Amino acid sequence: MSLRARIRDGDAEAFEALFEEMARPVFSHALRLTGNWSAAEDVLSLTFLEAWRLRDRLDADGGSLRPWVLGIATNVARNLRRAARRYDDALARMPRGHPVPDFTDELIDRIHAAEWLAAIQEAFGSLRRQEQEVFALCVWSELDHAEAAQALGVAVGTVRSRLSRARKKLEKLAAERQRASVRRQVKGDHDSVVRSVREENP
Amino acid sequence: MNKGEREALAGLLPFEVEPRLPNGRHRVLKEFVMSEIRRSAGRPRRRPLRPALLAPALALGVAVAVGVPALLGGGTPAYAVSKNADGTLTITINQAKDPEPLEATLRGMGVNAVVDYIPVGKRCSPQPRSTSFLSRQEAQHPADGRPFLIWPPDEPEFRIDPAAVKPGQTAVLEFSVSADEKTAGIWANISNGPVAPCTLVDSDEAPLGPPPGWDG
Repeated sequence: MSLRARIRDGDAEAFEALFEEMARPVFSHALRLTGNWSAAEDVLSLTFLEAWRLRDRLDADGGSLRPWVLGIATNVARNLRRAARRYDDALARMPRGHPVPDFTDELIDRIHAAEWLAAIQEAFGSLRRQEQEVFALCVWSELDHAEAAQALGVAVGTVRSRLSRARKKLEKLAAERQRASVRRQVKGDHDSVVRSVREENP
Repeated sequence: MNKGEREALAGLLPFEVEPRLPNGRHRVLKEFVMSEIRRSAGRPRRRPLRPALLAPALALGVAVAVGVPALLGGGTPAYAVSKNADGTLTITINQAKDPEPLEATLRGMGVNAVVDYIPVGKRCSPQPRSTSFLSRQEAQHPADGRPFLIWPPDEPEFRIDPAAVKPGQTAVLEFSVSADEKTAGIWANISNGPVAPCTLVDSDEAPLGPPPGWDG
């Protein structure tokens, strides 16, 4: 029996295998959408609690479970408070916080991730929520258009048009950034010229 | 969507490092999720952790052990407790191996506390260890003063407020511990009455604190 069919039938071992396979992609997706480490941990846990609750809606036949799980994660990230209310009791039992040893690569990963989050937040944040979701699913989580449509419960054409809007906005932003940096450079050169002239004429 | 198209889009919001969940948290959160769904399935199972599940934790332990002599060999104690100007105490746990010296230190500082370290795949028995724990609401939002455990922890330190433990009460601190003897999670509460000692038993449930519904 397929993993999909076993999960639909409530097989906890099969579900554990799904967690092993999908926890990292779900966490990464959640971190990109929320920009917050601890919110992403909540999204991760709640996504799998939701997946378990919704398991009987799965078709026994079908391909990878990746679009299904990432779709749930997208919904949870979008409605984190609502999802948290549903699992209020469970979340109270969720083990929180963890000291990260400062000599592991994990911390370095975290610092890099935090820098990255700050750097892209501005640009990503300029997209509408629906565009962010499609961009995160198609570009970062590498779903194809049909899978993203399945994950979000929308038509394939909708995915295409949202992605295309996201692309136009980001390209415009990138062009603006480039123009601004050229302006800064020109202004910077001018300042240094003025300064050196003053230094020569006290 | 083809590869070139995806690369062009990814280039608009580039990142060098995939944000990753640390191994320790992956394991802790999996234990949490699995214990919750087994609970909901109504058929709790007790079985020892399979070798396949232990392998990532052990691998982490090996990787980390390389750094340990540099840290602990430099005279760093297993734990430290320091007093803050506002009356709170900061606990730093570098190696979660033996909880008794930490417990004795806290008692020496006037905090009637019970400390337990819970390794991977274990939990305390009995749970709940007291019939008179404060409710979650009372513990996290006391009517007067600060809660006993001040949230969030300032990793890798934990701050507690001794004033939250009134005469006759006992504070309980349970830490889940990874294979590398680092703390991975914390649970704290205050009991109005006696607290049962922690006997470690095999478990695939959430490692810390009482089972669901304990505070109604």
